Amino acid sequence: MHGFDGHMLLSIMLAAVVGGLIGLDRTALGQFMVSQPIVAGPLTGWVLGDPVAGLIIGGTLELIWVLDMPVGTFVPADSTVATVAATAIVVLGSGGAADPSVVGFGLLLTVLMAPASRLADQLMRQRNAQIPELALSPAGLPTEGRVAFWHIAGLLVFFLKSFIQCLVMIPAGIAAVSLFLRAPEALHRAMNLYVHVLPLLGIASAAGKLATSALDRRLVIGFLIGAVLVTALRLPVGIGVALAAVAAWFEGRSHAA
Amino acid sequence: MPREAKAVRTVDLLGVFWRSFFLQASWSYDRMQSLGFSFALIPVLRRLYGSGEEFSKRLAVHMEYFNTQPYFASFILGAAARLEEDRAAGAAADPAEMKKSLMAPLGAVGDSFFWGSLKPLAATAAVAVILSGAWWAPLLFLGLYNAFHVGLRWSLLLEGYRSRGDVVALMARYSFTRLARHFKMMTLSIIGVVAGTFPKWGPWQTDVPALSGLMVAVLGLASATALLALLRIGGTPVRLMIALAALCLGLELGGIF
Repeated sequence: MHGFDGHMLLSIMLAAVVGGLIGLDRTALGQFMVSQPIVAGPLTGWVLGDPVAGLIIGGTLELIWVLDMPVGTFVPADSTVATVAATAIVVLGSGGAADPSVVGFGLLLTVLMAPASRLADQLMRQRNAQIPELALSPAGLPTEGRVAFWHIAGLLVFFLKSFIQCLVMIPAGIAAVSLFLRAPEALHRAMNLYVHVLPLLGIASAAGKLATSALDRRLVIGFLIGAVLVTALRLPVGIGVALAAVAAWFEGRSHAA
Repeated sequence: MPREAKAVRTVDLLGVFWRSFFLQASWSYDRMQSLGFSFALIPVLRRLYGSGEEFSKRLAVHMEYFNTQPYFASFILGAAARLEEDRAAGAAADPAEMKKSLMAPLGAVGDSFFWGSLKPLAATAAVAVILSGAWWAPLLFLGLYNAFHVGLRWSLLLEGYRSRGDVVALMARYSFTRLARHFKMMTLSIIGVVAGTFPKWGPWQTDVPALSGLMVAVLGLASATALLALLRIGGTPVRLMIALAALCLGLELGGIF
């Protein structure tokens, strides 16, 4: 921990800008999925100098939140802000390559960030209700210029929502990490274990929304491919993924027939 | 006397396509994508009605409440462009009615296809690879997802324009429901691979012997199944993240790990 010197403040500002820009992709602009944790994490980590921490945080949060969908008026937990902030907290709080225990602690902090960012998202979307009225001319009809200006101005609102959240969460999180670094060794070992087992919750969360039973046959087929071919026989993971996908596709086709 | 027919040009549709990426820039709870829809349709309305009062009136029509899955909005944008073209030529076309009738069913199909099946498929495939420490997994995710996403957005726009919003023909051509079902099964199988490769997760992991690797994988699946059961009886990911952290601390303090 290097304290909040000029370099640290600049890094926090940089991370907040990254969070604001990536956050646009979540709803307001494009939706190319750059805002998904699996991209947002390593991207933030790369900008701040430790992409590995971002990969682990992003991969884990992706699994946990992947099927939390924006359907109708439902606004899911903002996993983008949580991922960017957690990655920045871990990287900047470590002052170098992050230890797994700090990564685990950063992941634990997201339990506070995700609900808070959902609330911020909801408040902003309520305030946005005024924008269409601003696009009307004094005569009560919209003009091209007003529609374009006020609609695009909405991007600034979305940017500021993520930017300000990052600006608040990251320094608070870095302060928490500095306390964590002085915590007893048992807590560090616990967080080391936590970072390794947390993806299991992601598996449960994702499988729970897709599987008809706890031991769904597609899940079991994939597990056998992963455990036997990849873990025991050391086949590359990518080949295991491809085999599992093909097996499920043909299994689905034969079942439909 | 029939009006002088003005035709929508490819460059206008390209303009709509570009603007469709900004559809949700001012998303709000009460009008949702209404301003975004009118903003996206401006190139077509300008071509057909110039910039006078008629243009403003048609813009106002498209500022009414609108919400659908943002990618599938391209189909409705294409259909609205064609119906506006018909209307400008003197035909009795009603784009507003078409929008009202299509937004809900296309929203349901789009949410299920993109958020509920394609995104989880691409994301879990990337997570499976990322957990083994591969830095290129986010690129795999973006490539897989956007190859479908961007191509389909353009196709849907053209399809909507050609068919004037014939959603039955669209569903017959693309089989989104069948594809979504297959993608979900493939996702589930890949989640199984993630569970099966549990002993190999993370850049901090070292190689594990085959037999103990298999045992750890089975232990991982059993733990994920237990977490899934907790989620199904009312647990939330946030609560379980906290519970899992407490469990890790308990195991450390108890000297079990």
